[in-house]
Amino acid sequence: MAQEAAGTAASARVSPQVETLVREAQRGDQGAFEELVRTYDRSVLNLALNLLRSPEDARDVYQEAFLRVYRNLPTFRFDCSFQTWLYRIVTNICLDLLRKRKVRKEEPSVMETSEGPVDRMEGFEEESARSDPERTLWNRQLRGKIERALEELTPRERLVFELRHYQGMRLRNIGEVLGTSEEAAKNCLFRATRKMRAELGDFV
Amino acid sequence: MTCDAAAKLIPLYGYGELTPSEEERLERHLDQCADCALEVRRQRSLAAALDERRLQVPAALLEDCRAGIVAAVDRGEPRAHRPARGSWALFWGAVSESLAGLGRVGQPVSAVALVAIGFFAARFAGVGPGSISTLSLAPSDSVFSTVRSVEPDNAGRVRIAFDETRRRVVSGNLDDQAIQRLLVAATREDNAAVRVESVDVLKNHAASNEVRDALLNAASHDPNAGVRLKAVEGLKPLAGDPGVRRTLAQALLTDDNAAVRTQVVDLLVSHRDDSVVGVLQGLVQREDNSYVRLKCEQALKEMNASIGTF
Repeated sequence: MAQEAAGTAASARVSPQVETLVREAQRGDQGAFEELVRTYDRSVLNLALNLLRSPEDARDVYQEAFLRVYRNLPTFRFDCSFQTWLYRIVTNICLDLLRKRKVRKEEPSVMETSEGPVDRMEGFEEESARSDPERTLWNRQLRGKIERALEELTPRERLVFELRHYQGMRLRNIGEVLGTSEEAAKNCLFRATRKMRAELGDFV
Repeated sequence: MTCDAAAKLIPLYGYGELTPSEEERLERHLDQCADCALEVRRQRSLAAALDERRLQVPAALLEDCRAGIVAAVDRGEPRAHRPARGSWALFWGAVSESLAGLGRVGQPVSAVALVAIGFFAARFAGVGPGSISTLSLAPSDSVFSTVRSVEPDNAGRVRIAFDETRRRVVSGNLDDQAIQRLLVAATREDNAAVRVESVDVLKNHAASNEVRDALLNAASHDPNAGVRLKAVEGLKPLAGDPGVRRTLAQALLTDDNAAVRTQVVDLLVSHRDDSVVGVLQGLVQREDNSYVRLKCEQALKEMNASIGTF
């Protein structure tokens, strides 16, 4: 699913149609705007859902991001690709949400149950993961540790990790989206993976 | 390489984010160090465990979101307008915009690639059968395809016809005709970063007619101000060429970017040529950017021409 969504966005990157769509949408063509949304929205939702592990929050990010795109599209001047511009908006909203969560310490994605820690989003996992017959208590504990390790990351580390690991974005592009250098994105990814390895110890 | 140095590279190794030389040095170390090789395997297990928690977007959620945004737009959400700004603000805006465009010059050309590939997929074949089958179906970064037809048959199989474009990499000397032709074609690409890069590379080869024409075309027609600035810069050695001057004088009157107009004025006045006086006089009358107007007035003064035409 993630591959399919991301593939759609990647094909759109080379399509001259995107620029035409953006220009038409800038002139107020609502059909063009909706087509633009449909070109990228699955990837945007995929990013928000995997990052925030909450369908409600993912929905909020989606709405807010595309509303900002709609409102500000007339000022977009093709200084970067439309996709980079869109992802700047999306990642800003996601970072704000992650930071608010850190402050409030709300809604951990792992719940403690009598059977051990359970991910709130378990039912949403991809088919292959859900049907894994090897899902043992040990696996469950591993999952719990992973969720806690991810929650220990700073919002920025979490975002860079999400973009690189799950969304398959190159560090150079991540730097461009986050308004930083490739080197800074690399350091961020390095810190994130090191923290996770430290948290998991010999568990993997 | 020491184990400490290897530990710094291992996390990035699986993502294919090391330079070729870093990769080579690390692999030489891994061949000799069992502990670091074990650490690589652990990173791989961690990645596989992380892959398991990947969520899929429920179709209903996507539909719900789409309906929500369409409804919001239908309600008539207010949209931004290009702000009306004073001429100085406009000038600095144009300059910073152009610089933002130029800032991309040093970066290798690539837009945001979102092809999701599993951790280590590029490097280790043994991620797992699930990942491999998904990968083989996913569009790779180098193949962009358009599906032309889908025909299911009764046996439960399906026949899919698609066009595909494969990325090829060529490298060669800048004086090579074939390379120059590719670069000239690249100046007409949709991707502005590609155009900036190609114009930047071509700008030192303006002696060839083909390159000169490509630069002229970019200087007067490219929608991106960064590309236009680069093209004008490349045309500077040809400032004495009447054809170049004529085209740029025309562009001067139509270009909406003050930084580009400034560059063109500089180029035109670098050669004493009375035919440019009329253009500058015309520009002074209509120019709303005070910096560009000042430049024109200075140039006219130096040429002992009157500032106004009346």
